[in-house]
Amino acid sequence: MTLRSTWNAARARRWLRACASVGAEPYLVGKPTVDSYRGQLRIGDRFRLGSRPVASHLVAGPGAILHIGNDVSIGYGAAVAAIQHVHIGDGTRIGPFVIIMDTNFHGASGDQSIQHDCRPVRIGDGCRIGSRVTIARGVTIGDGAEILAGSVVSSAIPPGVCAAGGRARIIGRAGDLNSRWDSAAAALPDILMASLGLASPPDLDGRPIPGHVWTETRMQDLLSVIENRLGVTLDIVAAHKIQTFAEVAAAVQHAVGERRGQAGGP
Amino acid sequence: MEEVSRWWERLKAAPVWIRSRLGARIWLRTCDEVGTNTRTFWRPNIENRGRMVLGSRVRINSNWAPVELVSGPQGVIEIGDGVFINYGSMISAQLHVRIGSNVMVGNYCIVADTEFPGIGGPQGEPQGGPPIEPRAVEIGDGAWLAARVTVLPGARIGAGAMIAAGSVVAGEIPAGKVAGGIPARVLRAG
Repeated sequence: MTLRSTWNAARARRWLRACASVGAEPYLVGKPTVDSYRGQLRIGDRFRLGSRPVASHLVAGPGAILHIGNDVSIGYGAAVAAIQHVHIGDGTRIGPFVIIMDTNFHGASGDQSIQHDCRPVRIGDGCRIGSRVTIARGVTIGDGAEILAGSVVSSAIPPGVCAAGGRARIIGRAGDLNSRWDSAAAALPDILMASLGLASPPDLDGRPIPGHVWTETRMQDLLSVIENRLGVTLDIVAAHKIQTFAEVAAAVQHAVGERRGQAGGP
Repeated sequence: MEEVSRWWERLKAAPVWIRSRLGARIWLRTCDEVGTNTRTFWRPNIENRGRMVLGSRVRINSNWAPVELVSGPQGVIEIGDGVFINYGSMISAQLHVRIGSNVMVGNYCIVADTEFPGIGGPQGEPQGGPPIEPRAVEIGDGAWLAARVTVLPGARIGAGAMIAAGSVVAGEIPAGKVAGGIPARVLRAG
C-alpha cells in the first residue's frame, strides 16, 4: 500500500460517496460529478472513470438503478443518467464523450415530465464502445459487441457484432480487422440504402435482400457506386448470385483484399 | 493616430503575453523539450510518463476547458513548431503521436493512439479484456483539425489537409484535401 494508492483510494471514496456500493480499487482521473437523487448507483470492482479534461457525470434519479459491473472503464466527458435502469456489464470499455441515458427527459410534445417513456438500457459484458457514441433509451447491446466511434445507437445490437453509423447498423463481427471505420464495410450500409432505395441503412447480416429492390438496374447501379466510392469492381456474374446483405459485404471485402494483395505484391 | 492606437492595443495585450510566456515555463516544465516562444493560456494538464517534445511558437489555449497531454511509459508525443491547440482537446500517446508544424487543432478534439484514452494513470492502462494495441498517429505539417474531431488510432493525416468539424478520422487522409464526416472522406480537393 503506497502513499499514492492510499491517496487515490481516498479520492475515489470522496467523489463516489453518492454510490450505494463501490467495489475494490476504483480509480478516478480528475473529478467527476456522481449524484444520486434517491436512486441507487452500484459500481463493481476496479472501476475506472476519466474526468479530464472534461468532467464525466453519473446520475441516478428517484428509484432508479445504475449498475456498473466489474472491470468497467469509462472515458472523460461521459454522461450516464438512469431514471429507471441502466446496466453496464462486466469488462466493458467505454470511450470519451459517450452519452448513455434511459430517458429523453421530456416527451416529443406537451408532456415535460422526466418519467415520460423511460426504457431501460442494457449494455452487455465485454463490450467496446468508442468515442462520442450516443446510446438512446431502450437500447440493448449484446455481450462482446463493438460500437465504432461517433455512432448513434437507437436499436438493439446483438452479441458479438460490430455496429457503426449515425443510425448504427451491423457491419461485421466485433474485433475483426474489417470492422473498423476505415474498412469498406463501414461505408456499405449507406451505399446500399442510397442505391437500392431503402428507407434506412440495412444491417449487413444474413437477412435476404428484398426481391423488389434487388432488380437488374438497381444491382448495376450498386456496382457502379461501389466502384466509384470504394474503388473495387465486383464481378457481375457473382453479383447475380448474391441473396443477402452479408454476401454483399463479403464480396466487397474479398475484392478489397484482392486489391490490397495486388498493391502489396510484386 | 492609427499608429498610436496600434501601440495602445499592443500595450493592452502585454499582460496576457507575459502571463502566457511565464505560464508555459511553469505548466510545460515536465515536458522533455520545449522550443522558444511557446505559450500557454491558462493551465493545461500535462502528464508525461514517456517523452514529450514541443517545438517553438506552440500555443496551447486552456481557457474554458484545459488541454490534456498524456504520454504513457512507452509513449512519445512530438509537436512541431507553430502548432495551436484549442481548449478541451486531448492528445494521448501510448506509442507515438506526431503533430507536424503549423497544425491547428480545434476545441474538444481527441487525438489518441489507443481506443480508450484518458483513463490510464500511474497504475497504467486498465487490465483485463483484450490487450490494448496502440497504433501510431501522424498529422502532417499545416493540417487543420476543426472542432470536435476524433482522430482514431492508426490514422494518418497528410500535410495541409483540412478536417471538418465533428469528423471521425480513420485510416489515411491525403495531403491538401478537405475531408469530413463519420468516417472522414475527401469532400473536395483543397
